[in-house]
Amino acid sequence: MNHRISELVSADASRISRRCWSEQWVYELEKKAIFGRSWLFLGHESQIRAPGDFVQAYMCETPIILARGMDDGIHASVNSCTHRGLPVCRSDHGNAKRFVCPYHSWSYSVEGDLVSIPQESEVSGKPDKSKLGLKRVPRIESWRGMIFGSFDETIVPLEDYLGDMRFYLDAFFDRFENGIEFMGAPHRWVLDANWKLPVENQLGDVNHGAFLHAAIIPREAQDIIEKIGHSVVTAPGHGATFRLMPEGAPVDEVAWGMEGVGAILGGAEVQEYLRGIQAKAAERVGDIRARMKGLTYGVYPNLSFLWSNTSFKVSHPRGPGKVEYWSWPVVPADAPDTVKKILRTNYSSFFGPAGILEQEDAEVWVQQFRGSNIDFAEDHKYFYGLGLGEEKPHPDLPGLVSVTANEFYARHFFARWRDELMAVEDAE
Amino acid sequence: MSAVSIDTSPEEHRALERFYFHEARLLDNRQYTQWLALLSESVRYVVPSRVNVQVNNRDRGNEEMLHPDRELEGSDSMGAPLREEGYGLLMLRAERAYKINSWAEQPPARTRRIVGNVELMEREDNTLRVLSNFHLYYARPGSRQTLYSGQRRDVLKDTPKGFRIEDREVVLDYADIELPTLGLFF
Repeated sequence: MNHRISELVSADASRISRRCWSEQWVYELEKKAIFGRSWLFLGHESQIRAPGDFVQAYMCETPIILARGMDDGIHASVNSCTHRGLPVCRSDHGNAKRFVCPYHSWSYSVEGDLVSIPQESEVSGKPDKSKLGLKRVPRIESWRGMIFGSFDETIVPLEDYLGDMRFYLDAFFDRFENGIEFMGAPHRWVLDANWKLPVENQLGDVNHGAFLHAAIIPREAQDIIEKIGHSVVTAPGHGATFRLMPEGAPVDEVAWGMEGVGAILGGAEVQEYLRGIQAKAAERVGDIRARMKGLTYGVYPNLSFLWSNTSFKVSHPRGPGKVEYWSWPVVPADAPDTVKKILRTNYSSFFGPAGILEQEDAEVWVQQFRGSNIDFAEDHKYFYGLGLGEEKPHPDLPGLVSVTANEFYARHFFARWRDELMAVEDAE
Repeated sequence: MSAVSIDTSPEEHRALERFYFHEARLLDNRQYTQWLALLSESVRYVVPSRVNVQVNNRDRGNEEMLHPDRELEGSDSMGAPLREEGYGLLMLRAERAYKINSWAEQPPARTRRIVGNVELMEREDNTLRVLSNFHLYYARPGSRQTLYSGQRRDVLKDTPKGFRIEDREVVLDYADIELPTLGLFF
């Protein structure tokens, strides 16, 4: 069969068409092939601790209520009334016993069951309420407090989906005896850009840092990355970049958080706290991971984690040319409030809608979308070939490993993306 | 905050307006180094995040239910303020603007700030608590044109060299952040 998608991504994914970013028909395929079939990040258990707690989430453009049920279980329902489709929940987060649709007051439990139809008593035929609850997200699983949902009932278990990426995620999560916590409602930044570029940026593109951000990031930071930086792809679309510090490196150079602005502003209290975490790191995550100082992380398709500024991000598409980029600061759950408040500035000073670094990234994402819409350049695809074929297995690190300038993280992402879209094209 | 502002003298009110108009002109003229001189070195600059909150049933029928402060995740909260900065970071932002690789500002935005509704709410010795509103028009070649709107809650020090900003909280009026950057000086 003739695949339109195969023309957009070359066999080795080293050439990528502008149309991958700009076309409505491509986006419609992405919805079915990727957002309808992947595990998508919904939220963190720290956001819904008590029965009735809820937060909003999205699966692509579909609004989701993620809630802790009265049964203490985790529930995810589509935020749209079964009667006429209005959202039944309008706040970013909170605690509720019922969600009530404004139109005719159909009311739902936090678990998503339809509880009452006020008009029901006036008619003789009683609708079967057990069949009229909110549309449920059929699969919900969590790992290390991270809750994911999928619309694909047959998807592999979350742990298998994450696979070896867990090794790298644990290098962070497992450092903290009592886990981590998401702070506040997400910052939701709407940009005229395609959802995939923020993802690619946070998946492994650390080599723009000292160039795009040269006004802030000194060249020496790049020298260090070139010297001890590693880029890893555990499975297509999942990846991590980090610095592997030499054995015996001083604690202040290795410890998570120590390079952030919080360690400077917070003084002795924060620094002692961070050293305390590092002191237990080798015991908790093993020697090699205790020496890891992470940079960017990506989980396919659209979850990112920025270790260096301790922030989780989700790139929610709003069409080919619009993205709603969500981000949260993340802190150790058992840190004193004073320490949490300082550590969150590691994120907000440099990332998020006001971040002194991310304002440059946002500019790039918007301008790249403009560049992806130009005509007469179809025979001149984007070059993704840096380091082609140079990634290799590593004795101590799972996945394929290479220098950070190797763009294999993006090639693997686009190869998976292409294959998944082609599978849907085949089916249609 | 329902208190009526202080019935200050026309001279004092005029002095406050002169200060704010001068500040707005410096920022619109991209004279950020001169703007920094209007800050106390112990300045705290905070932009709370604005959240869609649940209505508390018990507040039904009273004004508390709709108070905008309920929507703010500020620096006292355990939420996620958009900005919590001191002099150092503000200086970094100002210095960045004059580097040729500050791409989000190349070319720079054309801005125009209109500051109004200046209200002196409290005065204790040389410390003044002042509210003001602003509209900031923003147009950047190759980017967007947009309007920022907000309220500034300032603590000013009246010094021999003039007013100095000791504390500024910027309450922005946005629903979703459909703004190219929140890294401006508001």
